[in-house]
Amino acid sequence: MSFHPVAFCRALTRVLSCGVLALLPTAVRAVDYEKEIKPLLKERCYACHGALKQKAGLRLDTATAMRKGGDNGDILSGNPGLLLERVTTADKDDRMPPEGEGSMFTAEQVAKLQAWMAGGAPVPAQEKPEDDPRAHWAYQPPQSSGHSMDALLAARLAAKGLKPQPEAAPELWLRRVYLDLIGLPPTPAQIHSFLKDTSAPARLRLVDQLLSTPQYGERWARHFMDIWRYCDWYGLGAQLRHSQKHLWHWRDWIVESLNADKGYDQMIVQMLAADELAPQDRDNLRATGFLARSYYLFNRTTWLDETIEHTCRAFLGLTMQCVKCHDHKYDPIEQTDYYRMRAIFEPLHVRLDPWEGESDFEKNGLPRVYDLHLDQLTYRHVRGDEKNEDKSRPMPPGVPRVLEFASFEPKAVKLPPASSRPVLLPFVLKDHLAAADQQLAQAQKSGDAGAVKLAGLRLAMIQAVYAADLAKGDKAIAQAAALAEARYGEAKAEDDLAKAEASPKAKDADKKIKTAREALEKARTKMSTPGDAYTSLTASFKAQEGPAENGNAKVQTYPETSTGRRLALAQWIADKRNPLTARVLVNHVWARHFGVPLVVDVGDFGRRATAPLHQDVLDSLTTGFMENGWSMKWLHRTLVLSDLYRRSSSNAGADPQTLAADPDNHFLWRMNPRRMESQLVRDSLLHLSGRLDLTLGGPSLDPAKAETSLRRSLYFIQNADVEHRFLAVFDNSNVLECYRRNESVVPQQALALTNSGLSRECANALAASLSKLDAPAFIDQSFLAILGRVPLEAERKASLEGFRALNEDRSLFLQALINHNDFVTLR
Amino acid sequence: MIPRLPPTPFLRRDILGGLGSIAVASMLRAEEAWLPPDGLPMIPQRAKRVIWLFMRGGVSHMESFDPKPMLTKYAGKSIGETPYKEVQNPEKLKKVRVVVVNDANGQQRNVIYPLQTGHKRYGQCGVEISDWFPNIGSCADEIAFIRSMWTTDDNHGAQVQFHSGRHMLEPRVPTLGAWVTYGLGSMTDNLPSFINMGPRFFDVRDGHYLGPAYDAVNLKVDPKNPLTYAAPEFQIGRTQQEAQFDLIHRLNGLNAEQYPGDKTLAARMKSYQLAFNMQTAVPETMNLDAESEETKKLYGMDDKVAEPFARQLMVARRLAERGVRFIQLQHGDGAAGAWDSHSGLKKNHSSLAQQVDKPISGLLKDLKQRGMLDDTLVVFATEFGRTPGSQGSDGRDHHPYGFSVWMAGGGIKGGTIHGGTDELGFHPVEHPHYVTDVHATILHLLGLDPHRLEIPGRKRLERDFGKVIPQILA
Repeated sequence: MSFHPVAFCRALTRVLSCGVLALLPTAVRAVDYEKEIKPLLKERCYACHGALKQKAGLRLDTATAMRKGGDNGDILSGNPGLLLERVTTADKDDRMPPEGEGSMFTAEQVAKLQAWMAGGAPVPAQEKPEDDPRAHWAYQPPQSSGHSMDALLAARLAAKGLKPQPEAAPELWLRRVYLDLIGLPPTPAQIHSFLKDTSAPARLRLVDQLLSTPQYGERWARHFMDIWRYCDWYGLGAQLRHSQKHLWHWRDWIVESLNADKGYDQMIVQMLAADELAPQDRDNLRATGFLARSYYLFNRTTWLDETIEHTCRAFLGLTMQCVKCHDHKYDPIEQTDYYRMRAIFEPLHVRLDPWEGESDFEKNGLPRVYDLHLDQLTYRHVRGDEKNEDKSRPMPPGVPRVLEFASFEPKAVKLPPASSRPVLLPFVLKDHLAAADQQLAQAQKSGDAGAVKLAGLRLAMIQAVYAADLAKGDKAIAQAAALAEARYGEAKAEDDLAKAEASPKAKDADKKIKTAREALEKARTKMSTPGDAYTSLTASFKAQEGPAENGNAKVQTYPETSTGRRLALAQWIADKRNPLTARVLVNHVWARHFGVPLVVDVGDFGRRATAPLHQDVLDSLTTGFMENGWSMKWLHRTLVLSDLYRRSSSNAGADPQTLAADPDNHFLWRMNPRRMESQLVRDSLLHLSGRLDLTLGGPSLDPAKAETSLRRSLYFIQNADVEHRFLAVFDNSNVLECYRRNESVVPQQALALTNSGLSRECANALAASLSKLDAPAFIDQSFLAILGRVPLEAERKASLEGFRALNEDRSLFLQALINHNDFVTLR
Repeated sequence: MIPRLPPTPFLRRDILGGLGSIAVASMLRAEEAWLPPDGLPMIPQRAKRVIWLFMRGGVSHMESFDPKPMLTKYAGKSIGETPYKEVQNPEKLKKVRVVVVNDANGQQRNVIYPLQTGHKRYGQCGVEISDWFPNIGSCADEIAFIRSMWTTDDNHGAQVQFHSGRHMLEPRVPTLGAWVTYGLGSMTDNLPSFINMGPRFFDVRDGHYLGPAYDAVNLKVDPKNPLTYAAPEFQIGRTQQEAQFDLIHRLNGLNAEQYPGDKTLAARMKSYQLAFNMQTAVPETMNLDAESEETKKLYGMDDKVAEPFARQLMVARRLAERGVRFIQLQHGDGAAGAWDSHSGLKKNHSSLAQQVDKPISGLLKDLKQRGMLDDTLVVFATEFGRTPGSQGSDGRDHHPYGFSVWMAGGGIKGGTIHGGTDELGFHPVEHPHYVTDVHATILHLLGLDPHRLEIPGRKRLERDFGKVIPQILA
């Protein structure tokens, strides 16, 4: 008999596994299927053998299904029974769950399973199979109940016998809306003015007024900069590795779009595909900063992975990172869905276009995306390994099939000439000439004849080169351009040599002179035979494709078409029929007004997200939002003018039964207090001291100056390299992902508010403005300015005593009040 | 004076970690069965605190704690010409995951580079240690050496991997120090429970999804400015500041009557007390005036080269004495880390070793003489080793396939030599350990079960948990 190693191992395995079984208690004891067996099978087995998938034709979600069995028949009958055998075998190839897909059953679990099977595998009558994953609530279109959110919430409270809290004081409501809508607290004058008329129409007028200030756009842009991962460029020293230079143009686009109340659907389309939707609309090209942000120098797959993951999570509440390597364990999304999505982004690349008024890309430029690799095929990475592509079939572009309500048919877009050749943009020549003019004026001022000549030749060269670029293909004009370039080159080389020879004692003078001479030689040779090759005006800057790629300034022409894939994706996301997009947005905005989202994980609406308690509220708001042109201002108005938003956030005086039944406020019988985000803390401090600079937009600012600058916090450079020490203490946004801010309470926050120069200077400035009041009036006014309310009698008394203990130092008193919990809290 | 606060309903761990866990809990309300850890050990506890010494850049294991004489014997030969060419079997090289494609570093180096220093045996256990670490050698019988580490990142993002268990290209997850403070909480009302000293580059955070409450608080070993905002940035007298804190406390206390049961407010009141105490506790801990000359000498404070790290380690011991749970030290400046010797290895490593050797032995001896080594874990680690082959004329490249770390103190069996690499120091030949095995061992000694350190919705992989290394336990 020949020895067969595999057969031998299998035989050995059987012996071993029987050994394991032999050790198990044989006494049959009652095992509760619903409590002890089903949850175990659900956790370990259903992902592959349930409603989501039926590997080997097998389902384990009912006993009937297990008896029916799969390719290998009934898994419950027999001794030990296939189910038991497969979870206990020592043969790694046979064992379930397979390696890497879940840990082995413990001895205790095996014992229970065995006992249950030995007892005839009893189950309750009419056992229901797992729901069809496609029936998941979030995959169904939202249906409006026709009732307002307040009516729905009130009905649920009444049904549960819960009693809502009364309204908060009007000045607390006022502080909420100011901080929520514009990110700045109301001034004492604004509080007084509001308290004269707190009627519903007055509240509506006030909300509309706040929504029409430019500060609204800044406030909400900061929220969306969290969700959309705003990040200024960074790398190692001068080497750009992440994101793009001048990405602040995208930030300004967000602010402006919000202020204009652009529909959210339109914003999505512009961020993903403005270059395909309206290639000549330069204002909206800024929106594609959303995609430029994920640029990563070293690894294309990492770049695209982040693009896919965060596009899906931000707009759709779908988690895709696990689908990169294997089919989703919870959601009906397959690995091929992931790579069809990758195919949408496969052609994508990034470049800087010129920004009108500046020809130097270091100083300004427009980061934007475009399709470069039009014919690049996408292959599935086997188990997510980029070195192991499944070349058997290229993946076509597409969206997850479970959510495909119409066929995905991208149409290629023919681009206008200035998209494929940015030099044709109307301001390019003007800006290059302006730079050369400036050089000429400077040369004339210095009286340096060589420099004057050089600047003149540069002007001539720019015009000749531009003419040749326009008359693409005309040989005579190209020759003229080449000649003008050679002429400038020769003059430049002469000038360089003269300069080198003029300082013979400089460091490495001999070497410099020698180099300059050689350069001049070359320039003269070129001058004698200029030919017709010339260097185009630099009107774009292509991002490097990997660290080895050089000479990107020379790339000045781009494809004349775009695949239209991103546009098709964007239109699918922003379609009213998409059940996720508007819901996810409404949930995000809700979370930021009410502290706790309706769907617990704002970034995951998949099957792990059970239907929310207030789904009717979410769905009514969602349909209303879409019917109102996806208007965010409509949504804010609806939320902040609701009864819920007016309610007190305190438990004080609450109905004891309500408090006992729902201490965590799931049913929303009161408002939730919230802590200010880091930017709000800093901006509010500056604002209440009357020093905040309300200038809008522009390049990102040096974070080192953040504690002396008076600009709003969203304008400081933000990336993974810099840390803004004041903002960091209050849970600053994480640029890698930040779907929700943390609200920590740590002693460093206390130290920042008691010991920072910033808090003291704000206190000083406020003290100066309140210097003429007597002590009681000063204390009332301090409360009003910092906490947005007057003190209670007990607080007034404690404050007066504290003020005296501080030797009536107004600044020290105000600084203490800045440390009141109510300052950093939206009560 | 700060009035004494009424007894708080929170556990001590909530002083720092409070809201982080509350926020996490509220986010995950759906999963009702789950509760955050209660701060008590889950299994018998052998050590209470950790001093984590991380050498940034990649220490050559062959020229530190795993000397390989065969390198000298076969110097100048290619690996393929030695009897050990099997080490480059492509199958064995697969586990590495490249971050920077076509990078100049992180490559295979084929020409064997001889040992750059001698080595000898130390202690009863007779462990071979290079001549650059004689002082650590003198503590050999306190130490368990693990000579069979491996990781998968071939670039310095491996520093992140060593602290968190996850590769640079994967999502960031909490680091070991964050898990420890999350699991056990604080032992002091005066200092943060998790402290970092020294430079970090690839990831400056620890808590990640546990929340910023579990990030290490960065201390600078600059007695004038040890902690951001630790001291007022303006003139204010102590009495005045006390009056301020007193007023803040009174007003927040009155506010608590308006908002009964507001846990955030209670946590904030508590945080002010810790903040106030930190203002004096941090500078007091940093001030070494009270340390005897003898102790200072023990750490090498009298040696100019060793002085900066010696100072940090003395501070580390003082933090440990004062109840800090996890003290994380990063040694070696620069983005990649100073130990990164692509060229000039001899000069580089000998001088860096001089910076740390005496201070580390001083720390071990000092802890021992104070009886603290029994319940303090000291860990010496680095992100990867260095290649047996030469890079350029006198350097070694990154080597993630095999390297060494060591541990000493509470629950560790001193004088243990565990695992080993092949004759070239290329691959572990017995007991290979991924980085999380070190984490699992530390958590085990601290009385924590990593499998119970998990939050719903944040699935950890089996590899994240690691496996305890039983052979090095006392």
